[in-house]
Amino acid sequence: MKWLSKLYVCLIIFFLYAPVAVMVLFSFNSAESVWVFEGFSLDWYKSLLFDATMLNALKHTLIIAVLSAIISTVLGTAAAVGIEALKNRIAKKAVMTVTNIPMMNADIVTGISLMLLFVFIGKLIGLHESLGFFTVLIAHITFNLPYVILSVLPKLKQTDSHLPEAALDLGCTPIQAFFKVVLPSISTGIATGMIMAFTLSLDDFVISYFTCGHYQTLPIVIYNMTKKTVTPDTYALSTLIFASVFLLLVLYNALQTKAEKRRG
Amino acid sequence: MKKENIVELKNVSVSFDGEKILDSLDLSIKNKEFITLLGPSGCGKTTTLRIIAGFLDQDEGDVFFEGNLLNGVPAYKRQINTIFQRYALFPHLNVYENVAFGLRVKKMPENEIKEKVTEMLSLVNLSGFEKRSIDTLSGGQQQRVAIARAIANHPKVLLLDEPLAALDLKLRKDMQKELKRIQQQLSITFVFVTHDQEEALTMSDRVVVMDNGRIQQIGTPQDIYNEPQNAFVADFIGESNIVDGVMLKDCLVEFSGHKFECLDKGFEENEAVDVVVRPEDVDIVDVKSGMLKGVVTSVSFLGVHYEIIVDIGGFKWMIQTTDERFVGDKVGLFIEPDAIHIMKKSEYSGLYGDYSSYSEEMDHLSDIIEEE
Repeated sequence: MKWLSKLYVCLIIFFLYAPVAVMVLFSFNSAESVWVFEGFSLDWYKSLLFDATMLNALKHTLIIAVLSAIISTVLGTAAAVGIEALKNRIAKKAVMTVTNIPMMNADIVTGISLMLLFVFIGKLIGLHESLGFFTVLIAHITFNLPYVILSVLPKLKQTDSHLPEAALDLGCTPIQAFFKVVLPSISTGIATGMIMAFTLSLDDFVISYFTCGHYQTLPIVIYNMTKKTVTPDTYALSTLIFASVFLLLVLYNALQTKAEKRRG
Repeated sequence: MKKENIVELKNVSVSFDGEKILDSLDLSIKNKEFITLLGPSGCGKTTTLRIIAGFLDQDEGDVFFEGNLLNGVPAYKRQINTIFQRYALFPHLNVYENVAFGLRVKKMPENEIKEKVTEMLSLVNLSGFEKRSIDTLSGGQQQRVAIARAIANHPKVLLLDEPLAALDLKLRKDMQKELKRIQQQLSITFVFVTHDQEEALTMSDRVVVMDNGRIQQIGTPQDIYNEPQNAFVADFIGESNIVDGVMLKDCLVEFSGHKFECLDKGFEENEAVDVVVRPEDVDIVDVKSGMLKGVVTSVSFLGVHYEIIVDIGGFKWMIQTTDERFVGDKVGLFIEPDAIHIMKKSEYSGLYGDYSSYSEEMDHLSDIIEEE
């Protein structure tokens, strides 16, 4: 029975990663073929480096990912602190449900509704072109927020409620108490929330598609490329994205294990 | 306002969700004394402490500190420090930084901080632990860090919220002595909260017995034990037999169908009273020379003495004696006049002091419930 379960795990991993493995392999192919591997080369990566559209899109993606991660982390942490401080249980539940909806909602619905809102407001204040950098940034912050809140809240719950009181007792103002005592004890939650937000923003396609206007991010540029012909430089690019997300996930898990160890 | 009082609570009331937690509480705490708030859980002792600390605002009444009104002054501006039940040490800081925390907030120069922290750690016998992280310390050591962290700030009053509840018995006894030593060495006012009557009696200069948000009695441990004011105090502090009696006249009381000489005066003639007799003050004699007669219904050996339950006309008395008796023995009880203590009738009359439902197991169970 033991070998059976091992085989099962192997099969799962194979099916999960086979497509990625094939893509990575062919990103190093020297020919343009998708079925014959003719030799190792870094040509597709090189051609990426000189592709201005691609690089520009990458810049957009990184700017949006970094900014939306930072802003949603600040807002989300503040929101989590507020939610945790709510004494009324019904109010707490209600606020949690409202914050979770953007997470549960189908991306396409979120995307379309945000686009409508942005265009509506844009027309209202007489903008010629309402969609762009700010709209895509706001959209990303919107869908990142619940993830930050959900990773900070449990840390707040675990924090001894007497800790901020002890800080007040020792002469801290309430704001000092928050920064000196509460923030350090929820820092791993904040960090994991931020990494989540960053990776989610990095590979979002659907919501960005509706809200970015001319400020095109990488996934959208790739999508537009594939409408013509798929060339192996897309594989190279996807490999790079996969590698960076993979690294971030490893970091995320390492942070969580560290936090658990500290508690245990 | 008397000068010797460092903290005064006047007519303080607090309610949560319509339930009265503190009911017009008046309490004066003298400078440099070790005072203990004692009572069962939910009696309002911790609430009183939180009001003095400034974590909680009273609905009514005034709090004074050294004669100045303290109402609405935030916790961080009070010269009062607290030791929390679970210590509330900062997990992200090491021992040194925990103790230095309050001093850093006050922006004390680094060399003075170092000096102070070293002094505090040696006071609590933790020299050499500076670099240790909090989660590598035992409960007793964490407790010491919490003490050092609080007293490093030179508080005029130190509040201790059941600080020993999480320690095992042996460690608790050691820490009791330790706390007493620290209090005397630094001559700081200690306000100590506990539900453990033995702890309260051994450590305190004065004990405040509380129940239902009201103070039942304030006094020295001896006063509280020897002269309880009502059945609640008599029952909560130590063991006691509490029976209904009638004060026939000064120094003569009748209970359990017998007239006893006693030392209490000042009651009206034929006033109904509660009579307290401590189990260690009753002598077991033979039936003929006994003032009261009864049958032994239970005997347990506790090492120092036997705990014997004697049924006298349906009321079960607890007696502690070094003489062995057996279940079913007919015995007589002899009570000296100074063993009898008379109390006025109160709302607690008739609720306590009968050992008919008594068993070791029940006692143990109620302890567990209290700790929760």
